[in-house]
Amino acid sequence: MPGIDECLLETMRLPGARGAALVDWTSGLALGTVGDPPGGDHETAAAEAAELARLAAEQHTFGPDDGAGAADPPVEDVILSNRDSYHVLRFVPTTFDSSVVLYLWLARADGNLALARIRLGEMAERLVLA
Amino acid sequence: MTMVGTTPPPRLPVRDRTSAGERSPGCVSPMLTRLAEERATGVLAREHGTLHLVEGRVVHAESPLAPGLGVLLTAHGALDAATWRDAEDSADEGRLLEHGVTPGALELAQVSALYDAAYFALAPSSTPGRFRYGAAHWLASLHPVPVADLERETLRRRALLRRIWPDPATDAAPLIRADPVAPPAVPPRQAAVLERVDGVRRAADIARELGRPAFHTLVHIRRLAAAGLVSSQPSPVADHPPDAADPYIALLKRVRDALEAL
Repeated sequence: MPGIDECLLETMRLPGARGAALVDWTSGLALGTVGDPPGGDHETAAAEAAELARLAAEQHTFGPDDGAGAADPPVEDVILSNRDSYHVLRFVPTTFDSSVVLYLWLARADGNLALARIRLGEMAERLVLA
Repeated sequence: MTMVGTTPPPRLPVRDRTSAGERSPGCVSPMLTRLAEERATGVLAREHGTLHLVEGRVVHAESPLAPGLGVLLTAHGALDAATWRDAEDSADEGRLLEHGVTPGALELAQVSALYDAAYFALAPSSTPGRFRYGAAHWLASLHPVPVADLERETLRRRALLRRIWPDPATDAAPLIRADPVAPPAVPPRQAAVLERVDGVRRAADIARELGRPAFHTLVHIRRLAAAGLVSSQPSPVADHPPDAADPYIALLKRVRDALEAL
């Protein structure tokens, strides 16, 4: 029966995982953190990840185009890469009104982006949808 | 040319601004800090809300300005109202888990509601807080939060609102829609808030109706205010110049308001 900490610890078992957090992207609050903080500080990292997630979720351009009505949030995940790492933000669907992303910081040398993306999706669902 | 020596003007009398908060930066409530140090268990009642403590950590918070955990969970059908009442009456969180709420979802909603209510409970108040030693709250085991974390987050939230739009008038007053000439596109979550702005509802009312944390609603309303789409209802005595409808004058007034609020 996973809570926030169990979910984050499971995230850290992914190959190459350096740090992870559960972030509220409206307020910028880190609901939970584990591992190393990207940039040296979990709180700042959470606030900045929240800002990126908000931009992705609020722009009309990035939503689905299948005409099946508005999804909340319209985006599944955001993937950002740099020279030595990946940052993966997975939106967590909930049955109540919330705005939460699961945020994983992945080392580029030993991380597997495709695997991480799939597993983050599964973990996000398991956290809130049983 | 002779130099005339003049005595320097006396120093202007300046109010001593070294208030308690500035002497120890980061301290929102000295009483709460002391309770954390003595690992107290009980309920701290402040002007705008209450904080429940167990061994010096905050385990639950309530505020009349923020929708409670029950509202968050029942508003969108995650839980039916009868089950919530049943669990609350029997003080048994297990009943929530038996009815389709997963432990992860319950923890998520509880932390969210806790920080939300605590933001209002820790707002500057005009009356002193009262602490009653007593038993633990029934949701105490879900997600205790250290007092230092809560105070730091509360300060960060105040700064976040100020950064979005510096005028706090929209936080508590009834809200009205402004109709700018070329309105910007509104993201869906903000649009849900904007739809409910009708000249009567306040931010807290809209939050309760949407089953959404009140601080989230404040954030959305400040963004809408920054975009010129929402403003606070002016008090009835305020005079309305006849040309208020002129978009340029409306814009200038918003700029003036923003500068004054800085």
